[in-house]
Amino acid sequence: MPKMLPTIVRNLFGGPATRLYPVEVRKPFERTRGHIVFDDEKCTLCGGCARRCPAAAIEIDKEKKELIFYPGRCIICEVCAENCPRGAITVKEEWRKPFYEVPVEVHHPKGKKEKAS
Amino acid sequence: MSKVVRTVAPFGPQHPVLPEPIQLKITCEDEKVVDVVPAIGYCHRGIEKACELNDFPKNIYICERICGICSCIHGCSYCEVIERLFGVEIPPRAKYLRVIWSEMSRIHSHLLWLGLLADAFGLESMFMQFWRIREKILDAMELTTGQRVTQSVSIIGGVRRDIDSEQQKKCIDIVREVKKETEELGKVLMNDYTVKARTVGKGILTREQAITLGCAGPTLRGSDVAEDCRMQGYQAYGELGFEPIVEKDGDSYARAVVRLRETLQSCDLILEAFSKIPEGEISIKVKGNPPANEAVFRAEQPRGEVFYYAKGNGTRNLERLKVRTPTFANIPALLVMLPGCELADVPVIVLSIDPCISCTER
Ligand code: SF4
Ligand code: SF4
Repeated sequence: MPKMLPTIVRNLFGGPATRLYPVEVRKPFERTRGHIVFDDEKCTLCGGCARRCPAAAIEIDKEKKELIFYPGRCIICEVCAENCPRGAITVKEEWRKPFYEVPVEVHHPKGKKEKAS
Repeated sequence: MSKVVRTVAPFGPQHPVLPEPIQLKITCEDEKVVDVVPAIGYCHRGIEKACELNDFPKNIYICERICGICSCIHGCSYCEVIERLFGVEIPPRAKYLRVIWSEMSRIHSHLLWLGLLADAFGLESMFMQFWRIREKILDAMELTTGQRVTQSVSIIGGVRRDIDSEQQKKCIDIVREVKKETEELGKVLMNDYTVKARTVGKGILTREQAITLGCAGPTLRGSDVAEDCRMQGYQAYGELGFEPIVEKDGDSYARAVVRLRETLQSCDLILEAFSKIPEGEISIKVKGNPPANEAVFRAEQPRGEVFYYAKGNGTRNLERLKVRTPTFANIPALLVMLPGCELADVPVIVLSIDPCISCTER
């Protein structure tokens, strides 16, 4: 019994080890890979991200000048963001909420290719 | 005298102690198990074939998904085998970082298993306590790599992220805490009367049997064989003074003790790696396609030895990638451990090899 006393006291005042999710949400760590966002102003539709994506989550339609992103396929590996020459992709810390329908994001990038001088 | 009737009881593919599907057809005489026939193939995903069809840098992310628990080591091993194919050496800091993350995976895997063991006896609160500790390690992983489970931190030529001094301090605190709590809780688990009654002398695998059947990992080391891939000194293990952990008895209890002691050892290895980690680059650029050559790599996973074989052909795709995972080596041992035991002991003995079926079938 005396050996158990500190444990009892600790558990009595320690509070629960769990969180009441989703009411109480832990703040994600800095640089957690949560989801990715595209910056249409910067992207030049070069296609580097689509080629490198291991999950085939990005498609480029050169004719329609569209970048199609399937968030449901994305495994948030950050490869696209690391390799984008324009820095048009950023990784945000918050995880995506669950979804009921397969989401498709269609982007119309407006970035201009700078002329090589 | 009445005749003893033989019955065949299917164990699995869906069973409360099995997180993954494997079926054991158990032949019993009364309550005694006399024969076991395993059936696998419920979750084959064709990963090796997928790896041949993909570009080689993308395979890292497929290989990480071979197993959800030791994903980090799978990723590192794939990168390592490709680096050997290219014949490049990664910077020393990257080697240390890989060791740190691999050992964190080991802690998280063993704590998960210890929780499941407690759960198999019905010690529900013990199960939750182990998983509470495990949560801290997952936090350390998220802090340093950006993800809790599938870290995706190795790349061909090194690692993607560095651990800065602030993160290092936090990790050291977490690891010390985990070690202290695991020690405390481990004492309670291993000295418990019920646990001993259910594991001591159950599922015995002798030293000779373990060697003949080619077992791996804690199953092998629980049977008094000092064999651990980390003894080769790959990555930075050679500089960390690694000694394998061995128990003599070869029963379920010995295997549990091996895992518990390895958890504590991994904590020490991380702390030592942090104290010795050199400064410098964390990755080098690897250009071109894998040459037409072959390479192999063996690494120690929480469950035992994983074997990677890669064959390149000068293109973006690999000619062949072969992975052999530890559970595949340990299933034959199960067929030796089970006959002779009571039907009620089957779940605990099956759990004692820490089966990971998704790995096995890929
Ligand atoms: S996001 Fe970046 S990599 Fe992808 S197409 Fe646009 S500019 Fe190229
Ligand atoms: S984060 Fe990875 S999976 Fe997601 S779009 Fe980028 S490259 Fe593809």
